[in-house]
Amino acid sequence: MVIEQYTIAATPKYNFPQPNIDTALPQRFIEQSINSLKYVQNQPFQLNQQPFQQATNMELNPQTFQLRMQPIILKPNHEETQIAACDTSTLKIGETSTGMLIAVRGANVWKQNKSYKYTRLGPFIFHITEENKSEVYNMLERAYFTSTHKQSHLYFVNLLQSPTRIASLLERWLQATLAKTMNDGVVLFDGSLTAGIPDTPIERLKEILMNARKCGNVVMAFSKITSLRINGYLITDMPLQQRNPHLLETIGLRPKPPIVLLGDVYVARLSHGSYAFRLDIDKENSNDQRIEAVGRLLGNDILTQGYPETLRLAHILCTFTANEVIAMQHFIARKCGLKIINRPDMHRLLFGPFGRGESYS
Amino acid sequence: MKLYKKEGNILQILSFPNETVEKGDYLLVEDAEAGKALIAQVIDVQFASIPGVLEELLRSLPDGGELVHGEDFDPLEIAPHITFIQDASLLVCKIRATLENENLSPSSSWLPSRSQSTIKKLAIPTLLKLAKVEGKLPIVLGGTKDSSFLTIDASCLDGRLNIITGKKETGKSHLSKLLMVNLVGYKATVAVFDLNGEYVSLGMTSDGKRNAYYDKIHVLAPGQNFKVALKQVNLHVLLGILIHALHLPGTSAREFRRIWQSLKERDMLTLHELGEAIRNWNCNQHVRDALSSRYHALVNSGFFTDIVAEATLLEDCLFKAQEHGGAVIVNLRNTSTIDRQIVVEYVLGKLVEQLTSWKLKATFLFAEEAHLYLRETYWDDIVTRMRHFGIFTTFITNQPDTIKENIYRQADNIFLFNFTNEHDLDVVSRAARVDAETVRLIARDLPPHHCLTLGRVVKDFPIVVKVKALDVRTMGETRLFFKDTN
Repeated sequence: MVIEQYTIAATPKYNFPQPNIDTALPQRFIEQSINSLKYVQNQPFQLNQQPFQQATNMELNPQTFQLRMQPIILKPNHEETQIAACDTSTLKIGETSTGMLIAVRGANVWKQNKSYKYTRLGPFIFHITEENKSEVYNMLERAYFTSTHKQSHLYFVNLLQSPTRIASLLERWLQATLAKTMNDGVVLFDGSLTAGIPDTPIERLKEILMNARKCGNVVMAFSKITSLRINGYLITDMPLQQRNPHLLETIGLRPKPPIVLLGDVYVARLSHGSYAFRLDIDKENSNDQRIEAVGRLLGNDILTQGYPETLRLAHILCTFTANEVIAMQHFIARKCGLKIINRPDMHRLLFGPFGRGESYS
Repeated sequence: MKLYKKEGNILQILSFPNETVEKGDYLLVEDAEAGKALIAQVIDVQFASIPGVLEELLRSLPDGGELVHGEDFDPLEIAPHITFIQDASLLVCKIRATLENENLSPSSSWLPSRSQSTIKKLAIPTLLKLAKVEGKLPIVLGGTKDSSFLTIDASCLDGRLNIITGKKETGKSHLSKLLMVNLVGYKATVAVFDLNGEYVSLGMTSDGKRNAYYDKIHVLAPGQNFKVALKQVNLHVLLGILIHALHLPGTSAREFRRIWQSLKERDMLTLHELGEAIRNWNCNQHVRDALSSRYHALVNSGFFTDIVAEATLLEDCLFKAQEHGGAVIVNLRNTSTIDRQIVVEYVLGKLVEQLTSWKLKATFLFAEEAHLYLRETYWDDIVTRMRHFGIFTTFITNQPDTIKENIYRQADNIFLFNFTNEHDLDVVSRAARVDAETVRLIARDLPPHHCLTLGRVVKDFPIVVKVKALDVRTMGETRLFFKDTN
């Protein structure tokens, strides 16, 4: 059977605005995406969309720590400062007889001259199978390491983990881009500054933070969900009679090796009556620099519900809508000639209305 | 296009941006396995309900309505697929017929295969051929959307009740003139109640020259070249005028009958003698007053004369029209309400008289804004009784609620121009030969000079047509104050 030949080269559209940024990784993304799709021609395809939650906030066994109950009161600093953020998202589009089809997309957002701008990469669609999962991941990994640490490192990845691992690679690349291209700004990450986990090797995150500091940027990471507790209470639920924006500092937070925290952890309530978030700020910055950076964030970004708009936009822009999922399924069906099938749902088949009862509601 | 849903005789079809389908278009939903096809007409085009579209729109407007600008690097070029899905439309279609072995049946009781059916646009000429909308007496109404002509058969207007309606300045009179001259061309006898003097120049081209119809158009202006002598009028025609147009009570009508017979016996049927007779007649004073006031109304109308040479014989005009085909245009432009009713009663009375005695074969009657001169009881007469005599009426109006519901129910053909008012559309949608959704959804979006043709002339396949231009001098233009200034 003759299959359509894909040109394995960057399309003319793929033209990065920053010439000083190494584009090896996104180019490998395209190559690997196209390569993986070559071998998926004319297979049956079961639609099954499911977003993957990235494990960006690993808080494995933190030892006893305290929360300094004396709040650090924050004052908005309106001195013009560029605020930037990045996020990625990944989604399983469906299953084939040999593996699964996933989509990855990332976005960088920054606020410039009082308006928001963005650069969005993707979606990249991969066909991940037991056979090619390591190849795809390691090719991408090597693209990153070639340009940064000049070392080769092969990982064995679980099929189910590979979507989040691939998305993490793209996210680190986007973070590195922001860290290198911005000056004297505030860079916001989604999640935490925890390193030493498979998705985030220590050296990689260290390098990003170092590059950011070289350019005068302060990196901070917002976690929407935390599992850190003091006396059984989540740190973000601690009651405090303080109306002004403030931070609560944690003391003595030491995760078990090999996990390391490259940031100091705070509880941030950045607007009155809003939610509190775990906030990690690069610990290599002085205390004053950190407080000043949060002040500049307050003075330069919109903080609806205590969450920075720039980061919210980054999340929104890379999230896949149902419409996009249908479009990607349409793309795959057209380009790869996949036949969409409906496998019977075993739970429903065997247990009738008692199988996956909640889905019936 | 993909078949999505069927509910009753409504089909919902998913259409993609590369398929251009508009309201009014016909689709053929073909199920090869079943050997049948549904013919459906698009009555509405909606956005398909695509999940996630709201999110898609919302995320581009996060900052108080200001657009977020940015660059997208989309190496696999998924974006066109997103817009392709986003711009998908849902075609709401009404099933008009089932096509099986080249034969059409109005059934919609079977269900075509959702997965295997093929859907394609059905060209109007093909539809017309399938529906056998053709005949020996073609009238080209105008062009359809796919650049073909819509040709109807004049015999589909024969013996039928037609309604031309639409809001002001959409082209109703133009269409009625088109139908009229074509009927005249086929040697039909046509009578027109011309309220605004629009039809008087049908015999002239737009540049003022005589056209082929010049000798076939007979314009009668009441009080000017259209007068009648009492001797030429039958008693029942005059009684009709007195009772229906001038509201003469029954007792007085009885006295009038006696006076008339007395004068007739003495061969003294003149206006002068009638006036004298009423003055001297031995009867109740109230009756005399009633008769006297009606007499003066007749005299003042200027429609009646004692000079026989001045009188025009309507019959002659009608016979002339019957011989070679022609139209008798009764110009009601400069007549008062009462006079208009007198003239209309006379003309209708005469027509019935000629038709009942088989002196006339049949007449096509065009009545513009008939509510302004037609008495209440005539409406039912025209659509039921007079049809049997051979008066086939076409009502033309921009106020559809002035025509009674039972007339819509019996209308055989409706030529519907644009209406925006829901109430107007509701009234028209009561017609028996059309469904309410088609009227409401298609007529609302019709551009000027476009007409939705419904009924027998199109074999119940509603078709939108742009009415063709007519090279006749138009007289229905609105007089404008600022015309010269502009």
